[in-house]
Amino acid sequence: MRATSREALLALLACAVTLLLAAALGSKPLIDTLMRLAIFGLYAVSLNILVGYTGLVSFGHAMFFGFGAYAFGLLMQTGMTSLPAAALASLALSAVLALVVGALCIRLADIYFSFLTLAFQMLLHAVILSWVGLTGGDQGLQGGIPRPRFLGINLADPWQVFVVTMVAFFASLLAIRTILQSPFGYALRMVRDNAPRAAALGLPVQRYKLAAFVIAGLFGALAGILMALYVSGAYPNFAFWTLSGEGMFMIMLGGIGVFLGPVLGAAIFLLLNDTVTRFTEYNGMVMGVVLLVVVLGLRQGLLDVVMARLRPR
Amino acid sequence: MAHSGFGRPGRRSVLRAGLATGATLALPFVARGASKQPIRIGQPSILSGRIAQLGISSRNAAQMVVDAFNAAGGLDGRTIELISRDSKGKPDEAARVVRELINNDGCQIILDSEASSGAFAVQEVVRETGTLCIHADSETTSLTADPKIRAANAFRCARQVLHDSIVGGSYAAGIAKAQGLKRWMTCSPDYVYGRDSSSEFLDYLKLFEPSVEAVGATWPKLFAPDYTENVTRILETKPQALYSALYSGDLVSFIDQGNLYGLFDQVKFFAINMADYTTLHAVKKLPAGIYSCNRYLSTFPATKANAEWSAAYDKRYSVLPLNWAWQNALAMQFLVEAIRKTGSDDGKVLAGALRGMTVESPFGAKGTVTMRAEDQTIVDYAIGWGVTIPQAPFVEGMEPADWTVITARETEWKKQKGWA
Repeated sequence: MRATSREALLALLACAVTLLLAAALGSKPLIDTLMRLAIFGLYAVSLNILVGYTGLVSFGHAMFFGFGAYAFGLLMQTGMTSLPAAALASLALSAVLALVVGALCIRLADIYFSFLTLAFQMLLHAVILSWVGLTGGDQGLQGGIPRPRFLGINLADPWQVFVVTMVAFFASLLAIRTILQSPFGYALRMVRDNAPRAAALGLPVQRYKLAAFVIAGLFGALAGILMALYVSGAYPNFAFWTLSGEGMFMIMLGGIGVFLGPVLGAAIFLLLNDTVTRFTEYNGMVMGVVLLVVVLGLRQGLLDVVMARLRPR
Repeated sequence: MAHSGFGRPGRRSVLRAGLATGATLALPFVARGASKQPIRIGQPSILSGRIAQLGISSRNAAQMVVDAFNAAGGLDGRTIELISRDSKGKPDEAARVVRELINNDGCQIILDSEASSGAFAVQEVVRETGTLCIHADSETTSLTADPKIRAANAFRCARQVLHDSIVGGSYAAGIAKAQGLKRWMTCSPDYVYGRDSSSEFLDYLKLFEPSVEAVGATWPKLFAPDYTENVTRILETKPQALYSALYSGDLVSFIDQGNLYGLFDQVKFFAINMADYTTLHAVKKLPAGIYSCNRYLSTFPATKANAEWSAAYDKRYSVLPLNWAWQNALAMQFLVEAIRKTGSDDGKVLAGALRGMTVESPFGAKGTVTMRAEDQTIVDYAIGWGVTIPQAPFVEGMEPADWTVITARETEWKKQKGWA
């Protein structure tokens, strides 16, 4: 069996098992947790296309998460588009945004690239806050996001939102995995490891970086759309730098060099956040200590450590 | 050796007998326990970060009412359990916390103590789940005034920007007329609340005193550390009066820095959020003569009940109550009254009881506050304006607002918006 078919089968199986498990247990808290894990897991994996596979440390990835959420929410609030049309249009707009921002950012290297992405993100955040008539300013999109039926699917029903989110999550993971395992994906790794050498071999390095930026932005926006569906709204903090920081945190916790590392990181992050919040207000302190332990103790993400031990020496 | 039937009992039979006896003895307690499950009320709020005071004072005040209810025997022995949880000021986290409180912790009621953006996120969750909710901290008018945003199972027990603006405009118009203040300027935080508050205040000021004119505006960023630019701009514009919707630490910094320039000797200052104890205590040198609306004052309304409530809060938490405290205490009082009146913890039953309910309260303009049925928001709470003095009680000459004027103007405003 070809690797791609095997991975497609694995994704299908994982999706089916998740849905069956959730249906069998019928636990609302479990469904909520899985939905958030899918959203933040996808967000972290999309960021890792840049950080882990292309060597581009973006500090502004939440820009696409926020943009996707707002574009989708605003389109749905017009009442003139169907849900899939609004989602596709939001993704298309996010791709255009990523193309424009990426074209400007990839001209710079290292810390300059990182800070330019941060600057664009803060620009979008400022626009969201200032354009009150359109975005609702600091209070976010108000009045909820309408969810008209389409193709017999009713996203006013929480279970159906869960199914759609899970299908989108596993399909996205498969798509990203396929991209990263393709020759294009290996070219990205070469750009990450030795860009001058890749250029010397004839690779159009800037185009590869830009393509990675757009793909990452696209899946980041999809995560934002799913979040807008989940909370039935969009808020300025979706496009704030702290969410970009949390994405980096998830990658560092789970592992930068393993495809599913960011998903594990997102799971640990959410588990820590939810558990700590139940018992104390000193959430930030606990998260800080965990980050210190991971950075100083493991020096890698958890899956990086596990995979390093499993690999034959 | 085998034991005979009447001999020494075996280990298994002893265990069986023990279990049976235990179960028999425990049964009444188990049954009683099941029927005496506490009524769980979930409270999402901001308990960490720069405005943690919002959540802490909200939680403190609500807990006082819960403790009094439980000490009085609860609902036929059923107590209320208040579960407060930190949303960190993030709307998506507020939505998550509310879902967790409902789905995981079994909360039947939500006492929403979020700031406005969080409150809108909570509103969408409870709209979906149908859980009874009282918003106790959001002052944004549209939350309950806009029919598109309103939800049948959601109430608001908090002051509103619109009410404050009508009262502020009316009071300031009186001062403007008496002192000939024609040139007005605003200095409010650069976000929705600040801009809405300033614009509505000016609208009502002009309505009540058409001769005034707005000569400028300056918009400091939220949580700005330095107000030099804003103070300089005001001094250059030379208004006769200045309105500000700055609050808490921002207002404190603005006054401290304005004092350095002698700003308050040159303009009459109307600071709608001045009269809250944290702010009044934190200003290094509180200028006399600042006009302010009451956020919370133990001296307004000047009743024994209000002073006693403030003293009880101070005694228990060693800090004076804030605006958020009275709102949450009142919200919890509404819930407790509804629970007592209906003998139920069912959200729909309680919602029915809450609509139009009037309770006796230390925070009422005339000793009572009503949960208005038409838009499920409170009216007749105490609003008034007074003038600061440098020492306790910090604000004097409080002039109470006339609720007939507020409701008449509010109805007019809603008609203009197409909401009435």
